Amino acid sequence: MPAWVVVFGVTVGYLLASLIVGLLSGRRASSGPEGYIAGDRSLGFVLMYFIMGASIFSAFSFLGGPGWAYSRGAAAFYILSYATVGLVPWYAYGPRVARLGRRFGYVTQAELFAHRFSSRWLSAALAIISLVAFVPYLVLQMRGAGYVFNVVTEGRIPLWLGAGIAYGVVLIYVLASGVLGVGWTNTFQGVFMMVLAWGLGLYLPYRLYGGVAPMFQELAAAVPEMLAPPGLDGAGDRWSWGGYSSAIAVSAIGFSLWPHYFMKIYTARSERVLKKTIIFYPTFQVFLIPIIFIGFSGILRYRDVVPADAILPTILMSMDLPAFVVGLFCAGALAASMSTGDALLHAAGSIMVRDFVCVLSPRALTGVEQTRLIRVLVLVISAFAYYFAVVSELSLVALLLLAYGFLVQIAPVLVATFYWPRATPQGVLSGLVIGCGVVVLFYYVPALQWQQIQPGIFGLAANVITLVVVSLLTRPMDEAHVEQFVVS
Amino acid sequence: MRRSPRFFSRRLTARERLVYGAATAWFVAVSAALVWPLYVPFARLRPFVLGVPFALAFLAGVLLASFAAGVALYWWESRHGYLDQDTSD
Repeated sequence: MPAWVVVFGVTVGYLLASLIVGLLSGRRASSGPEGYIAGDRSLGFVLMYFIMGASIFSAFSFLGGPGWAYSRGAAAFYILSYATVGLVPWYAYGPRVARLGRRFGYVTQAELFAHRFSSRWLSAALAIISLVAFVPYLVLQMRGAGYVFNVVTEGRIPLWLGAGIAYGVVLIYVLASGVLGVGWTNTFQGVFMMVLAWGLGLYLPYRLYGGVAPMFQELAAAVPEMLAPPGLDGAGDRWSWGGYSSAIAVSAIGFSLWPHYFMKIYTARSERVLKKTIIFYPTFQVFLIPIIFIGFSGILRYRDVVPADAILPTILMSMDLPAFVVGLFCAGALAASMSTGDALLHAAGSIMVRDFVCVLSPRALTGVEQTRLIRVLVLVISAFAYYFAVVSELSLVALLLLAYGFLVQIAPVLVATFYWPRATPQGVLSGLVIGCGVVVLFYYVPALQWQQIQPGIFGLAANVITLVVVSLLTRPMDEAHVEQFVVS
Repeated sequence: MRRSPRFFSRRLTARERLVYGAATAWFVAVSAALVWPLYVPFARLRPFVLGVPFALAFLAGVLLASFAAGVALYWWESRHGYLDQDTSD
């Protein structure tokens, strides 16, 4: 039997297993939006741990992480750095978000902020920012899935068909099972990814150099500049500390604010479950270390691999490994793509209905209508992303960087919501608009940037100043209303 | 209503101030240690630790230390019955 048939068979087996897990898991949830979006606020520690862990580890981590280490050396350490502290802020405000969610029935991030500031325009603005951030991220996951299929079948399955097969499966369980489908498949996919990452991260250095230590000794002798932070930039020159540090800062601040992660606060069964998830989260991050090893293992043995993200498949396909093992890798890469893509799709549909359609609609939608509309929008958004994944030539990396810059602008809204009673809707909304405007300006006029610092940082500064000044110049909000949210 | 920024809803006991103050200081220090300028002295190749460059071993150490601090805070809150109420209020 040809090797590619075995590889393809293992991959299809993984897809079927994901589908079965996803379909079986959704049967316990209620049929309304609270069941579909927040799993009836009933998720325990194991499910929360894997949802948060596997949602983070995307096709970017599995293919892009080794690609960064391979092409930019120690610059890849920034991924490990921001993930270390990214979720810590949840320990402070997460329990309050969960409690307010239970009290007022929130299931999305913008519902909380819009209620605090009594502003439906804030809700609509946040919905748009979320969608702008989600789509390029989702497109990258789809392309990653299509790429995996294309490689494992030695080009027999084109990218468009591979992406279609993987995301066809995702759509079925997201539409049928909502957040519980996402949660249980993420648990399955998360375990799979961790085992595979550690296996490959230790095996490849052993096979190519005799171990991790000999690999780094050899790299230190041959290319020491690759091992010392801040590593190299995209052009192969030395990266600046400003670029490296601000990439960590922007990513760490934005990490806990991604709307599809933030929504998971509402799904936790209790404060104890939520805090335990946050505390144990770094144990999932450790999985990034072998991912980085994989990239380093290719530097001296596989020169000039283009694109750099192809380094892991390139190594695997050249090593004469058993077809079954290669199939497992492909399934792992698919798991990374799908475990992020499913959460994004589910959140995108939910946010557009709850934060955009519901707040701007002239009549209130019933729970059943909302759930039905969410499913329709999940289909529409996935079709939109699929178009960009397989047809459009648009540079997504550029869009993704913009998206991160926008996401960071939510941080002042969050701080103002809980910790500054004097903040007003006008202040928050104008800060958000100015912050995003500055991000766009700095992005399109790179000459304004200093020390390669991320545009999001400049936007954040402008956002905070605007928020404070405009809030102080406008009428304070009703005290009794604000007291429900801020620390009193 | 007081309109200046607030972080806790009630006066904390001396022990609570100590624990939450230490936890906050710890996580701020950890965050600062990952970026310029505090990370610069640790961003070097040698000595190798368990076979990996010092810069990477340092980050792994920070990750583990961050986890340990979180476990300690969780354990303390659990032991004193804070986990069934909103301790950030």
